Amino acid sequence: MNAIAAQSLGKSYDGKTAALSDLTLRVPQGGVCGFLGPNGAGKTTTVKLLTGLLRPTSGECSVMGLSPQSEPERVHALCGVMTETAHLYGSMTGQQNLEFFGQTAGLVRAQAKERAELLLRELELWEARDQRAGQYSTGMMQRLSLARALMHEPQVLFLDEPTSGLDPESAQAVNEMISALAKKSGVTVFLCTHQLRYAQDLCTTYGILYRGRMVLQGDFAALCEGAGCRIKAGIRTEPEQTLHGFVKNGEYWEAEIASEAEMPAILRDLIAQDIPVYEARLIRPTLEDVYFSCLQGQEVAE
Amino acid sequence: MKLLTEPELAVFRKDFNEVWHIRSVRGTLIGVPACMVVLLPALYLFLVLYAPSDQLNGVDNMMKLMPPELLDDFDLKQSMFYLMVNLVCPMFFLMIPLMSSTTSAAASFVGEKERGTMETLLLTPLSARSLFKAKVAACAALSFLISAISFITFSVVVGAGNLILNMPFFLNWNWLALVLVLSPAATVFGVIFMVLLSGRSKSYLESMQLSGYIVLPLVLVLIGQFTGLIYVDAFWTLLAGLVLILADALLLFLSARKFNSELLLKK
Repeated sequence: MNAIAAQSLGKSYDGKTAALSDLTLRVPQGGVCGFLGPNGAGKTTTVKLLTGLLRPTSGECSVMGLSPQSEPERVHALCGVMTETAHLYGSMTGQQNLEFFGQTAGLVRAQAKERAELLLRELELWEARDQRAGQYSTGMMQRLSLARALMHEPQVLFLDEPTSGLDPESAQAVNEMISALAKKSGVTVFLCTHQLRYAQDLCTTYGILYRGRMVLQGDFAALCEGAGCRIKAGIRTEPEQTLHGFVKNGEYWEAEIASEAEMPAILRDLIAQDIPVYEARLIRPTLEDVYFSCLQGQEVAE
Repeated sequence: MKLLTEPELAVFRKDFNEVWHIRSVRGTLIGVPACMVVLLPALYLFLVLYAPSDQLNGVDNMMKLMPPELLDDFDLKQSMFYLMVNLVCPMFFLMIPLMSSTTSAAASFVGEKERGTMETLLLTPLSARSLFKAKVAACAALSFLISAISFITFSVVVGAGNLILNMPFFLNWNWLALVLVLSPAATVFGVIFMVLLSGRSKSYLESMQLSGYIVLPLVLVLIGQFTGLIYVDAFWTLLAGLVLILADALLLFLSARKFNSELLLKK
């Protein structure tokens, strides 16, 4: 079953410019979807459409089989949503905020207190639990927002830039928590992020959005294929040596190959030519390579 | 049957506390009633007691506003106090539910939008209608409480004046209709007026400026009464209250339908 599905989803705020157009995507239950794209690409609009905060101008979407537009409260009961624009009450303490949002999700006071205490400890906010949220640092506020989204143990988690504004330690703590949730609890995660290296470790599928359009989606292999990023063979040899069919990149000579199975033949060929091979390695494309290659392709096409 | 579910009650309690803990809102919620039901009646009472009536301008014109049947029962000082309590004070008193309801609703609806917490509330499993109900109830309850305390305080101040001037206690049918019908209706009207503005207002201050328009009809009635053009007695107060209740019901229905996330989060 798809936890998140969208079919030809579109949104225009002013009736003229499309903030999002013709978005079709599917995220299976338990999957982690990395939603990537530059600022203004439509990531936040997509999250707001999928969580029922906005109404689409075209198309439809569902979360756990429910329509966010006609049954937003049922969708919210199953989802935890963290966006940059959804703030917490600065006049209430961290714990009061969590208990309040727990109660709005239907937890009785004792349950809300217990759950809030657990999350405050897990997200290293326990010491600051009685401090007003307005006095929290950006990092603490982000973690408190994540705790708020997790209060009712959601099955689907929408995270819009959960680590923006965080120092590396806090970002790592948040990332590890999301990772643990996805792996241990089977929570479906829809993650909008600019942290490509982290997204590559965590996500099972990806979508790259550019100017309101989904330009590439699928698992990492599909992304690489779509962006034209292939594995490269990298050879380090004597400095004065030239390798035909390779391109020099720093100390290495590089050549694109279809798969890693080609590597032994390349090495055999070099040895047969009596070329000294100091080092041979497979250079796999990273998500960063795919992302920039894809965006460059779009810019060139325009 | 419970009026509010447990999650709605949580929002109700949160709003009630939050609105009260905003310093500027609390200042208005205490300052306006204190001025209307303590300061102004007390000042007027002082004026009636100690200012020589023959040196005050317009006393003769004021006396023309007295109900003829009471002219024989009251002396000049008593009549002046009677006119204050029955012509001016009702309008002043009515400003309390209007001001307290619009102020608390501005803080609750527009303030939440301004502080970015409305989006967080809309992401809870509460429906927009439940949020609307809980928030309207919290603002109305706070305003009812302020109005009730104000009326008790007003009764003490004016009752003291009645005792000093040796007059019967001020409470009459007009005041009863005002306190029991028109004032609650005005409270609900003030809250809904602000909810309808909340989609358009960008800030708490902007919405408070717009809420000033709601007091305009009261000023007109006050001027009308002083010029002798109109006289609002118990019947008209009751009728105005009933009309406002009908308007409240209609506006409540309309604003509940308009209370949706897209409109509330519009920048």
